[in-house]
Amino acid sequence: MRFSDPPQDSDLPKGVRDFLPLKAAKLEFLQQQLRKVYSAWGFHPVIPPQLEFLDVLERGLGEGLRERAFRFDDRQSNRLLAFPPDMTAQIARIAATRMSQMLLPLRLCYNGRVLRHTEQQAGKDRDIFQSGVELIGLDSPEADAEMIAMTIEALSAVGADRFTVDIGQMEFFRGVMDGLPVDRQQAELIADAILRKDSSELDLLLADTSISDRTRSEIQALPRLFGGREVLELAEKSVSNDRSRRALDNLADILDVLETYGVSEHVTIDLGELRGLNYHTGMTFQGFLPGLGRSICSGGRYNTLMAQYGLDVPATGFTFSLLHLLFALDKNLDQTIAPGTDLLVYSTGDHLRAAQKLARQLRQRGYSVARDIIRRRIDETLVYARQMNYRYVAVVATEDLEIELISLADSSRSRINWQQIQHPDFTLY
Amino acid sequence: MNDWITFALPKGRIMQDSMELFSKIGITCPEMNENSRKLVFENPELKLRFMAVRATDVPTYVEYGCADLGVVGKDTLLEQGKKLYEPLDLKFGYCRLVVAEPKGMENSDNPLNWSNIRVATKYPNITERYFAARGIQVELIKLYGSIELAPLVGLSERIVDLVSTGGTLKANNMVEVETIAEITSRLIVNRASLKTKHQRIRAIIDGLEKVIGDEVRISQ
Repeated sequence: MRFSDPPQDSDLPKGVRDFLPLKAAKLEFLQQQLRKVYSAWGFHPVIPPQLEFLDVLERGLGEGLRERAFRFDDRQSNRLLAFPPDMTAQIARIAATRMSQMLLPLRLCYNGRVLRHTEQQAGKDRDIFQSGVELIGLDSPEADAEMIAMTIEALSAVGADRFTVDIGQMEFFRGVMDGLPVDRQQAELIADAILRKDSSELDLLLADTSISDRTRSEIQALPRLFGGREVLELAEKSVSNDRSRRALDNLADILDVLETYGVSEHVTIDLGELRGLNYHTGMTFQGFLPGLGRSICSGGRYNTLMAQYGLDVPATGFTFSLLHLLFALDKNLDQTIAPGTDLLVYSTGDHLRAAQKLARQLRQRGYSVARDIIRRRIDETLVYARQMNYRYVAVVATEDLEIELISLADSSRSRINWQQIQHPDFTLY
Repeated sequence: MNDWITFALPKGRIMQDSMELFSKIGITCPEMNENSRKLVFENPELKLRFMAVRATDVPTYVEYGCADLGVVGKDTLLEQGKKLYEPLDLKFGYCRLVVAEPKGMENSDNPLNWSNIRVATKYPNITERYFAARGIQVELIKLYGSIELAPLVGLSERIVDLVSTGGTLKANNMVEVETIAEITSRLIVNRASLKTKHQRIRAIIDGLEKVIGDEVRISQ
């Protein structure tokens, strides 16, 4: 390769890609499996638009997402438009405006694509496939537990065998930090050190403040408050303020419900998990698969979001990042997804009617069937069929002669006659 | 392989220091003592694996989950800004990241007067952030080694580089002007590993925390 080689004129911008049939089939499978879980829990799909007014959309976006929306001028309205970088804000808008007269709670789900600006870094997607749910109008541990239990069911449904859903609680941290003599910047640095579990940095930051020894040890405990349910007891001992204690009670209630649902084995707790601190108001969670450094789904409570659109009701939800999921499960899905088509119908002579009739009859029986319309030698057709993942090739002459079936798996040949196909018990394999 | 724990360690002295510390909590790898050119060492009894990689690549292996844990200098973490947990300061590999300049320059030059300067460094991100925070524009020259050479041949006026004893600077007739950060080696952990293997990793963190010395030390 030379650097002077011009790029192909049919290339793509960074961060977007084409999905060829096998990958597309896998993605579709993931979407279907998730949708089945949503439906089983009583959630109904909504489809938001792919363009919104920027100022309307921005009201529902957390800080990190606002600057990541693709935006441009709209000649029709003379306002700024944006491609949504996240669907939660859109669902919140729909629920708070168009559906505001409906009785609560609302159980809504979505499947769609959003666009995001990303740092100029290799491998970061700008075209993001989201799938998730919003449970609107409930502020209870049972509702939060529902989100976690559904996430766990969804992960099982897509074939993930080992995974962890890690639960946090923003109110615990807020309770510890309430009324401390630190400015906003210091508080952000402290939160960042806790987020990275960087105890030594945290010690340095706290040394510069006039925080009391008691509170200092509360903060210093945060990077280590992760693990199983025992974390709640440890945390209980380490804090004295009411707000943090209420957060722990809330988590304990959630864990009780999860136990009833039989999914506790997948759950861990991390009270130092502060992602989305400016957006989430209570419980948060993220799904992890072993060996994949980033989370594949995330969710939590955001009780202030709906009010941005004029309906002051609590809400909780989660989103899956389908491309992260696809990346993680790609190999597992090879076993689940059998790409390809049942049958390719080859005609030996000019009596195309027979070939067409066979194709039609087998399609009616539920098989996927394609006609090898090109005139070519049978060996060429077999090469083609193999590459395109057909399971069988049917060689048809006329409506009086038997049909030869060639299996592409083992090259075995067999013959069937037209009466057999008519029989109700007929199966291709 | 899922219940194994994999470490990414930088080849050389830091790897020795790491294994010495790890051995205090029973993390060992006899295979490593054999003289070999291997890059991956295993202790199947304890289900442990160790990868020897370049120091600057350690965060990448851990971020992508090829390794659950790693040991790397704070300088590399500051420079790369990856999403990792860094729960422990291991206190070895101590050095400082400093701004240095040729001897004699300091007489004619007050840092308060800097507005636009040229700096050679292996750490362009840290250097840019450090000077930007002070309102100084820098022209960065990224080098991969022998940074001290740059001012001698007029490539830059100053350098940002690691100093442990100061011997190299002295030998090249340079002096430190400012310290940007004190550096030690850190234990880093992949985010998903901490969640999905929390029992084993928690035991490692808690165990190491108890055996890390109080004093920082230089690794040579």
